[in-house]
Amino acid sequence: MKKFVAVILALAISTAQSFAAGDKRPKSKALTEDQRIIHVLNRLGFGPRPGDIERVKAMGVENYINQQLNPGKIADTVAENKIRDLSVLNMTTAELYEKYPQPGQLLRQLQARGMLPADLAEARENRVKGGANSAPAEMPKNDAMPAPSPQNPPPGNPLENEKYRKVLQEYYRENGLQQPQRIIGELQASRILRAVYSERQLQEVLVDFWTNHFNVFAGKGADRWLLPAYDRDTIRPYAMSKFSTLLQATAQSPAMLFYLDNFQSVSPDANRGGRLQMLRPQAQQQRRGINENYARELMELHTLGVDGGYTQKDVQEVARCFTGWTIFQPRGGGAAVNAMMGEAGRRNPGTFFFNARVHDDGEKIVLGHKIPSGGGIKDGLMVLDILAHHPSTAKFIATKLVRHFVSDNPPPALVDRVAAAFTKSDGDIRETLKAIFFSNEFNSTEAYRAKIKRPFELVISAIRTLGADTNGGPGTHQWIARMGEPLYGFQTPNGYSDAAESWVNTGGLLERMNFGLALAGNRIPGTKVNLSKNGNQATVMNEYLKTMLAGEISAATKETMLKQLEPSDPVTKVVGLILGTPEFQRQ
Amino acid sequence: MNRRFFLKSGSIALASVGMSLSAPSFLERIVLANQTKAGKRKTLIAIFQRGAVDGLSMVVPFGESSYYSARPSIAIPKPAQGNADAAIDLDGFFGLHPSMSWFKPLWDSKRLAIVHASGSPDNTRSHFDAQDYMESATPGVKSTSDGWLNRYLQSKEDPERSLFRAVSFTKTMPRVLQGRAPAIAISSLSDFAIRGGTLSADLQGGFEAIYARENDALAGMGRETFEAVNYLKKVNPAQYQPENGAQYPRNPFGNSLLQIAQLIKAGVGLEVAFTDIGGWDTHVNQGNARGQLGNLLQQFSAGIAALYQDLGQRMDDVIVLTMSEFGRTVRENGNRGTDHGHANAMVVMGNSVRGGKVYGQWPGLKSDQLYEGRDLALTTDFRDVFGEIATRHLGSSDTQSVFPGYLLNHSRFKNFLS
Repeated sequence: MKKFVAVILALAISTAQSFAAGDKRPKSKALTEDQRIIHVLNRLGFGPRPGDIERVKAMGVENYINQQLNPGKIADTVAENKIRDLSVLNMTTAELYEKYPQPGQLLRQLQARGMLPADLAEARENRVKGGANSAPAEMPKNDAMPAPSPQNPPPGNPLENEKYRKVLQEYYRENGLQQPQRIIGELQASRILRAVYSERQLQEVLVDFWTNHFNVFAGKGADRWLLPAYDRDTIRPYAMSKFSTLLQATAQSPAMLFYLDNFQSVSPDANRGGRLQMLRPQAQQQRRGINENYARELMELHTLGVDGGYTQKDVQEVARCFTGWTIFQPRGGGAAVNAMMGEAGRRNPGTFFFNARVHDDGEKIVLGHKIPSGGGIKDGLMVLDILAHHPSTAKFIATKLVRHFVSDNPPPALVDRVAAAFTKSDGDIRETLKAIFFSNEFNSTEAYRAKIKRPFELVISAIRTLGADTNGGPGTHQWIARMGEPLYGFQTPNGYSDAAESWVNTGGLLERMNFGLALAGNRIPGTKVNLSKNGNQATVMNEYLKTMLAGEISAATKETMLKQLEPSDPVTKVVGLILGTPEFQRQ
Repeated sequence: MNRRFFLKSGSIALASVGMSLSAPSFLERIVLANQTKAGKRKTLIAIFQRGAVDGLSMVVPFGESSYYSARPSIAIPKPAQGNADAAIDLDGFFGLHPSMSWFKPLWDSKRLAIVHASGSPDNTRSHFDAQDYMESATPGVKSTSDGWLNRYLQSKEDPERSLFRAVSFTKTMPRVLQGRAPAIAISSLSDFAIRGGTLSADLQGGFEAIYARENDALAGMGRETFEAVNYLKKVNPAQYQPENGAQYPRNPFGNSLLQIAQLIKAGVGLEVAFTDIGGWDTHVNQGNARGQLGNLLQQFSAGIAALYQDLGQRMDDVIVLTMSEFGRTVRENGNRGTDHGHANAMVVMGNSVRGGKVYGQWPGLKSDQLYEGRDLALTTDFRDVFGEIATRHLGSSDTQSVFPGYLLNHSRFKNFLS
């Protein structure tokens, strides 16, 4: 059956190709060599830095593309040095639970063991009493993430809150602990630093792409502690592997299992009690039942697409297959207190495990495939295999990739060819990308500067084009968030939109201009631009237009801009205006 | 040619792209309209509860014994004297969640109505699809490119051509307002300016000139942006004081509602306002009278009640409508939560609403009455609710284009508006 599909698809490619070749009415022109280089630097990366265009020209654009497709072979010491001090990146989830405990949880556990210091107990008590009508959650709200959802409870007594925060901070400091909101802060910083400095630009673009495709929201429960491993062990290693490998990695990632609730999905008929139950915290023992959330999103958003041909019955069957795919001690199991008492390291909280005891071991039918009873963990693996190789998945992934790399309106013929490349290569992401990068559609004037940069892309490309230096800190996170794309801050599993309509609105555009002004004016803490002013206004402007837009700006705009400038104007104004032009919003 | 001169010619260029030179400026149009009609413009405030609120906890059918048997740990108790955790009795059968006491006075004064067992006829239980369908108002059709509120704006010309005719207090433009008709998405009115320190005015002039010269969609968006920025400066949002002792909750939802009230009072021609509030996807530990859902309902109802109070008499011309993509399972799940369901409850408020009544046919909660054996069945298509508001409140006459593929039949209207 699979072979038959492959043959049909192979036929489809050859017809598509011959059709394209025989088309006597080419609608679009090919790009010039320089344009192609700029296009590749914009789409396979986050835009050129000073000197990049010349570098790619010297090595040849096709060589550059092939090099980017093999990131493991590209030396990347600058980026590696930049992220060296971000300690969360190298910590296991267990270590994060030990060193970045959630304050409320920590205090409860200390109390349970009779270890809660009196001043901390008192501060907490006063704070709860001080609240007007409802006690706020015990985590201080000065979170590095922009408030992800509009549901902060009304604050209690601010004075008591402040006192509590101080005592808590002191306790954390004395015991070598850190506030958990720093985890996502460092993770965001690593994404920004790598996007700005890494030579493996395509790798970073794909990390961004797959992180959105397999979106996980940092604000959901334990996901804050689970995301560093998600980035490091799930997305990065497989960003250019086989799609099926990446899919399985996400399916078994604690971050996804938590985000889409599968970690607590259990067969209602599962045998209660027993030895394994003893390992589970009390609260979890009471939570029993099937949860369909992951099963649905797996098909709708990760593989088949919403019109991919599955039914509500399939969702239920897939959910049964994944019962027991869970997380060992999903919320850390008191790792911090254990470590403080020298009891660490016995187990690995926050890691994937298959709990056969709560698995529904009956027979299932998924998309017409029979999954025999007694399969255990193989049930879920079979489902992933069926989905990864389904024609709807090839089409869905091809469409999303083409939308990301080529155009908001993916040309159907290209999508078909890319889907065929996906199928033919058994879902090899690298081969699929080649079908895009070497296509006529990608290298056409229609695709050139046709995509609106998303806020993350805008920030990175602006920093790169100016050769600015950044620590990737909160200053940059806040701007990305203000323009509407906080990293790891998208609540629902569909991830950020890849189409211009979602980003071009009056509020968003205004913030883009303001971002450019803040960057050029060195008003973003942790980011420094060094602008030079040699010659008169016209020379300075032309120089920056050349660096930032390869000089590709309409004569009218250029003339307009020059008229806005007076000899006394600082260079920051010139650069700020260019960053805010319609041209710079495009890639 | 000096810069000052250019700024002027820049704005002329701007005018020539969008409108004829003789047309009055936006400001003049508004002033004119305010003088002649004195705020008689009708406004709809649409509020989306994203994530699917549990309508059976929000508007509790306490008269159904099946409700209690299906929800052993999360049901809201029947109204009982002195029990603050019990439902607030509305009509002897339905009750409000105890966290929503803010709504009770509005119900008593007949300004708040509920349409229960309403929603989308499509059986999708995907948040994204269901939100998409509710915002496009074409359930089952994914290819609809614009939202129903935008189509309403397209279908009816605005004589004032207000730049603030449609405003969404969200970071990005919601689906419901996407489309050809102009709309604005903002999260804070006071940030709606070029922020360049001492050079701000100068820089704004520069951007205005640049955006005036280009012809693509992005440049068009830029021009609209600056018209709006310039008008808002005159409104001076930072100085706002709510009236009638209204106290908005200090959270993003409360802020959005406060700013909607501000725009309505500023007389900028606001006709459609939108905002949303998330966090309703209570699969785990939903809580009953207290807990996750209760906290959210408290903020939700306190915010809307404050808006009502603040707007006072202006609520004669304003309707608040709440919606959520689908309801939740009648039975609680294994995690003391609820999963994705079907029909839900919508709330309609305003001085012109025939309130104090739960509208819609109640389908019941016994096993054989449930949709697909698990969910509250649907008896009112959400398009009949939208349609009644579009025609009777906003005065739409072209419902065919607002609700493509759906023949609005006034006999299906619930008549919560007269």
